[in-house]
Amino acid sequence: MATRLKHRAVVFVGGGFTAALAARQLTAKGVDVVVLERGIDHTHTAATSLPSQRDELRWDVHGELFQDWSVQAYTLRHNGDETALPIRRLQSFKPGEGMGGAANHWNGQTWRWSESDPVLRTHLENRYGKKAIPAEMAIQDWGVTYAEMEPYHDQFEKLFGIAGKAGNLRGKLQEGGNPFEAPRQNDFPQKPLPITEAGVIFSEAAKKLGYKPFPLPAANSPEAYTNPDGMQLGQCQFCGHCERFICEANAKASPEVLLYPMLRKRKSFELRLQTHVLDILYDRKSKRVTGVRYIDRVTGEEYEQPADVVVLSSFTMSNTKFLLMAGIGAPYNPKTGQGVVGKNFCHQTMSGTRVFFKDRWINPFLASGASQTVIDEFNGDNFDHSGLGFLGGGYIYANVTNGRPITSRGVPPGTPKWGSAWKKANADWYAHNFTISAHGSWYPHRENYVDLDPTYVDAYGQPLLRMTFDIRENERRMSIYLSKTIDEIAKATGADIAPPTPPRKGPYDSRIYQSTHVTGGTIMGSDPGTSVVSPRLQHWDAENLFVVGASVYPFNAGYNPTGPLGALALRLGDDLNDYVARPRHL
Amino acid sequence: MTDEPNDKTHVASRRRFLGVVAATGAASVAPGVVVGTAATTTALAEASQPAPSQAVDASASPATCKPPWPTPGYLSFGPDEAGFVEAMVNVMCPADALTPGGVDCGLATYIDRQLASGFGKGARLYMRGPWREGKPELGYQSPLTPEQFFKAGLAAADAACRTRNGKSFSELAASDADRFLYEIAGSKVTDERVPLSSWFNELVYPLFEQACFADPIYGGNAGKVFWKAIGYPGLPAVHSQDMIDFRGKPFPGAADPKSIADFA
Repeated sequence: MATRLKHRAVVFVGGGFTAALAARQLTAKGVDVVVLERGIDHTHTAATSLPSQRDELRWDVHGELFQDWSVQAYTLRHNGDETALPIRRLQSFKPGEGMGGAANHWNGQTWRWSESDPVLRTHLENRYGKKAIPAEMAIQDWGVTYAEMEPYHDQFEKLFGIAGKAGNLRGKLQEGGNPFEAPRQNDFPQKPLPITEAGVIFSEAAKKLGYKPFPLPAANSPEAYTNPDGMQLGQCQFCGHCERFICEANAKASPEVLLYPMLRKRKSFELRLQTHVLDILYDRKSKRVTGVRYIDRVTGEEYEQPADVVVLSSFTMSNTKFLLMAGIGAPYNPKTGQGVVGKNFCHQTMSGTRVFFKDRWINPFLASGASQTVIDEFNGDNFDHSGLGFLGGGYIYANVTNGRPITSRGVPPGTPKWGSAWKKANADWYAHNFTISAHGSWYPHRENYVDLDPTYVDAYGQPLLRMTFDIRENERRMSIYLSKTIDEIAKATGADIAPPTPPRKGPYDSRIYQSTHVTGGTIMGSDPGTSVVSPRLQHWDAENLFVVGASVYPFNAGYNPTGPLGALALRLGDDLNDYVARPRHL
Repeated sequence: MTDEPNDKTHVASRRRFLGVVAATGAASVAPGVVVGTAATTTALAEASQPAPSQAVDASASPATCKPPWPTPGYLSFGPDEAGFVEAMVNVMCPADALTPGGVDCGLATYIDRQLASGFGKGARLYMRGPWREGKPELGYQSPLTPEQFFKAGLAAADAACRTRNGKSFSELAASDADRFLYEIAGSKVTDERVPLSSWFNELVYPLFEQACFADPIYGGNAGKVFWKAIGYPGLPAVHSQDMIDFRGKPFPGAADPKSIADFA
């Protein structure tokens, strides 16, 4: 029997990136907030202290900051006629655990998406005609425009001290920035990170081919930075331990550095660590949520936390699972196309090749998570898709984030897997190669979705979330196209060895990391028949339930998901202030 | 920040190992460096003999502890398993101009320690049934822990080796052993119960790579020999100025990498 706790105003399920940003807006107005987070505060632990922070085996290979699969895993099948099996150690994406969530161990690559992305279906129909979008591709508009989001992007970039070069300032293109950038009112708050040797080589090659390379917008602070809240970032040390690690120098803008320490000093804010939420409590008759049930991981005791408002702010997968468990909203049915919860599940279409240079010192260990040089000519709808047979695209970049020796070494094709020749190839090429990659979009497919697994359960006896998921024709074609473009650039670098880029193919492989950007499942939109939440992230079937996270993206763009997520979370915080003052359908 | 460690050869009582001992400084008390079982046993046996001349002299300089490295003795392996793994790492990492042989680099020690630790016991691994064979893309589907799976595969591989070659893997000539490993990796050697190619490619091989390139605190990469071979500078990796000064140039710190023990 769960112990019933004192009623609270707003409860957040999951203490990561989005909860912190929305709670910032709420607690600034004194609204009562409690955040439930299953993990610990990593501050002053081995994860955030030298020398243990630099332990590649512990944090990267063994993934001690990631979700513990022995507690909760996911199952996978590639098509509806297969039996899903649990992924017993997931490698293809890395949900986080602990205060700050997956944003603790991110790389810091911080994009605004294209101006056309929030209105993607409208845009593509206008440009190519209605027939150009295949029936099985369920892309849809967000119900909010980039122009509405712009002030929140601006606010987020200042809070996180994003370093970059503006490409489009109030409609005027800026030399050295991204010529395809959505128009911004203000430049980035910090100048770009210094360029790497790989960036120099990539940049020369890209320019030779007529492209416009620019520095990738980064949350790795080039200098000490104080944000508008008075919170501080240290200077990036280019240590090559960003993704999968927490920055011990406080130089990577993250919620555990910039937000939670500030929030925990605010009177109306409470963070309850080591609390694993089991259920959202839903009153079907009144179509309202009444609170959540959780287990205290320290004592093992169960609690019910009543609340006026519940916000699902956990990882993409968990947001969807909570709704399916509580039966809030109709589960998606791929056979009929009806239902909404679990649909439009997407990932990121990655491909790349290593280029090798006998006489150039790449020194891959002199890098940070976002110190990359990039071109945007082949992303989204920045190029004409007529006759190409696919929609979407990706950015292409000199992808050096680290030189960690277990997982980031590269040797030329044909090198033996072990022995003296293998050792010699490692010694010859370690400091002399880098990867050119495409970070591609993933548009939804009618048969890609998530639901509750009928067989496998987690440590609390609850069903695992099941992915029915594969890379389909559109993304396979796109990956071939982007991979050929990589090859052209690779050739133009003058590399001694530039093997052809293998395009992404099926079946979807849980053993290969493909970014942590899984999206969809609780998608946003203006039509309750095709979306789970409204453009204000309010659940259509429970007025006092809100959902925030990449689970609300109706598709995944070729950009990293964090930028618009920051903007959406800040906007949600403002909307929640409005809602708490006057509850209604926003 | 710390003194430079010396490399020197240490001869243990039963087997020769490359010992890497920090001459002075904090590294000599680094956690995880423990006097090995075989050497200790011998020392204790000798110490138990009546030897009045060796009575403790309190006025002498304090006793020092310079443990051999890789630490002799295994936590998980039995003798046959140790024989297989030692033969394997010496084939996969032969002594050459870049590194000593695999055993002397601590590769067998690393693998043993990993299998005896949380990883080997299945920590952070979803271990609920039912178990079914799955497509390779679904990853590890064995009901065994990685330690158990490692040993089941090892026994199956050795049995296959005796069938094919008439002798145990550890008795093969290096070139035959090398060929046999490639045959396992390439699915040319099979077993009725153990999927040998995924055993090798997805469990054994990653452990081998980690043994070479993980921080030496885990027992492999003795003396940071693999980091030196490739030019990975290791810790502390505070490079905000380096990345400007050494952009496109050889990085001096690559010749003398530092590891966790150097900063402990």
